Amino acid sequence: MRANLIDKYKDDVTSFSQSKGEPDWYQKVRLDSLEKAEELSLPKYEKINYRSWRLDRPGSIESADTSEFNRKPQAENYIYQVGDKTISTNLEDELSKKGVILTDIFSAMKDYPELMQKYFMTKVTKTTDNKLTALNAAFLNSGVFLYVPKGVRITKSIQAMFVQDNSIDCDFVHHVLIVADADTEVTYLENLVSEGSGYKNKANVVVEVIAADNSRVHFSALDQLSKDTTTYLNRRGITGNNARLDWAIGFMNDGNVIGDFGTDLLGEGSHTEAKVVAITTGEQVQGIDTKVTNYGKHTIGHILQHGVILQKSTLTFNGVGHIVKGARGSDAQQESRVLMLSRKARGDANPILLIDENDVTAGHAASVGRVNEDQMYYLMSRGIDEKTAQRLVIRGFLSSVISEIPEKDVRASLTQMIERKLVYGQQ
Amino acid sequence: MSTLEIKDLHVSVTDDENGEGQEILKGVNLTMSTNEIHAIMGPNGTGKSTLSQAIMGNSAYKVTQGDILLDGKSILELPVDERARLGLFLAMQYPAEIPGVTNVEFMRAAINSRREKDDQIPVMDFIKKLESKQDILDMTDEMSERYLNEGFSGGEKKRNEILQLLMIEPKFAILDEIDSGLDIDALKVVSRGVNSMRGDNFGSLIITHYQRLLNYIVPDQVHVMMDGRIVKSGGPDLAKKLEDEGYAGLRDDLHLDVKLTDEI
Repeated sequence: MRANLIDKYKDDVTSFSQSKGEPDWYQKVRLDSLEKAEELSLPKYEKINYRSWRLDRPGSIESADTSEFNRKPQAENYIYQVGDKTISTNLEDELSKKGVILTDIFSAMKDYPELMQKYFMTKVTKTTDNKLTALNAAFLNSGVFLYVPKGVRITKSIQAMFVQDNSIDCDFVHHVLIVADADTEVTYLENLVSEGSGYKNKANVVVEVIAADNSRVHFSALDQLSKDTTTYLNRRGITGNNARLDWAIGFMNDGNVIGDFGTDLLGEGSHTEAKVVAITTGEQVQGIDTKVTNYGKHTIGHILQHGVILQKSTLTFNGVGHIVKGARGSDAQQESRVLMLSRKARGDANPILLIDENDVTAGHAASVGRVNEDQMYYLMSRGIDEKTAQRLVIRGFLSSVISEIPEKDVRASLTQMIERKLVYGQQ
Repeated sequence: MSTLEIKDLHVSVTDDENGEGQEILKGVNLTMSTNEIHAIMGPNGTGKSTLSQAIMGNSAYKVTQGDILLDGKSILELPVDERARLGLFLAMQYPAEIPGVTNVEFMRAAINSRREKDDQIPVMDFIKKLESKQDILDMTDEMSERYLNEGFSGGEKKRNEILQLLMIEPKFAILDEIDSGLDIDALKVVSRGVNSMRGDNFGSLIITHYQRLLNYIVPDQVHVMMDGRIVKSGGPDLAKKLEDEGYAGLRDDLHLDVKLTDEI
């Protein structure tokens, strides 16, 4: 019989916590979560089966020294982390003076215990949600805290670069907590990228976004984890009254990944646009479950997912729009479209609408199809070869999310990533 | 000098409803060289667009007999993109819309597809060329920055087809009803574009219903197509004669037994 998680890992977790000089309260969160993880089950997603990935078997938490990588973001406000090390971080003086906080998660626990205890896994995602969220809290070894105090509007974007290192044997257990207090505005961009090779690792990433009353939060992510990394990626947010929380996620990983995204629209009149693009290649499996729940009255939740499947890979999009009883005047719309470029590829687009209130509007569109022949003919009639033409058509198909990314150079880097992955997938 | 020869070309399309092949072209013969402009006129449903699609290599049009030769070599086995790189261009009646890909990006890709990987067109050269061609067509940078044909009006699409023609500089351009839906001013602009290409290295096959376009782009030869064949060829005067007498008149002169689609 397998030993209990708590028996097996208590010492590792405790000593890691001590090595980071964590406050007692967080050490307690870790051990409680470890204990709970034993009883909790893996999260379930329609038509996505990932049991064999063993995401619930923790690997090594403590890393040896990570290698050097040159991935520092070209931005004024940024944080750059490799594995569990924070390499550099910068925030404009003006923002620091206004009380904006951008720091690694361990410093945040020490320096801002009240904020952390108030918001960390208490409002959006709970340690008790499922086995993987519990393991995230227990084995946490990197992360970021971003806090925007009341009334502060940040015009320049805040960029984060997180490098997951496969040159060492270590899980990447990462947590990002973003709190945008009332009447704030912030644009955040994160890059999740694998470097190095030699080891196969797991990544367990949880991102929580709290968009308080009248705030506007724009969250973009470019994910490029390698084929040696098996990942659970949970990004969720909640909204206050009249808050707006938008997501633009580029899912360009090469390994097996579960994406669990979405927003709980709690406040009246709040609004979320969740846009995801994904490309799968090789034999990888990516499953993306995007769920928006309308709790508040007059809330708007839109989901748009576009994906391209090449070679022998599998891509599943679930779009879940749920309007609860009492959320009068709300709107839930979703569109999931998948392009299949190979007969050996597998793809699915499942729209799921759960409507418990009468006075609402809701709709869905889903399709699995092939590349538009008229577009291909047109491009090729100008001399463009078939593969290049295919990439252009696909880029067009994915443009609804590309155009959402606020920074021009980040847009360009997503376009490059798409190009790279498509070229690879066309081989 | 280059030549384009169409020899006894028979082309079928598959009927969407019953899946049977239907012969549209029934033996077309036509030879043209660069430095020549040929016009093909003819009533609706007579195979003019089929001819243009078959030359370009649209897979929906099946060549059942005959040949198409560019500089003496058959191109029937070549895919669309190779035909284009050999020097063929088709200005389409209904160009596809492609969101997410800008006009500029598309035209650069098209030009670069004709060049070696290590000899791609320098950005400045491209921009200069683009600006001079836009000027000829009274087009702005704004249009070139937009997504390819997306949300373009009918006239804008036609103008954009001609801009691509000027940028790509093919040996032979087939213009498929480039005048349809254009007002007189736009027609003049488009004609100015095509005329700017005239010269030793350029030939064009202009497909049109109306003689009007041929006042602006004066052809060297005019061919009349009916029921899948070229039934008469002549100089620019032939187009004027058709304008006066109509297709039915010409048919009766030639004693052809052809039913015209739009005939009452």
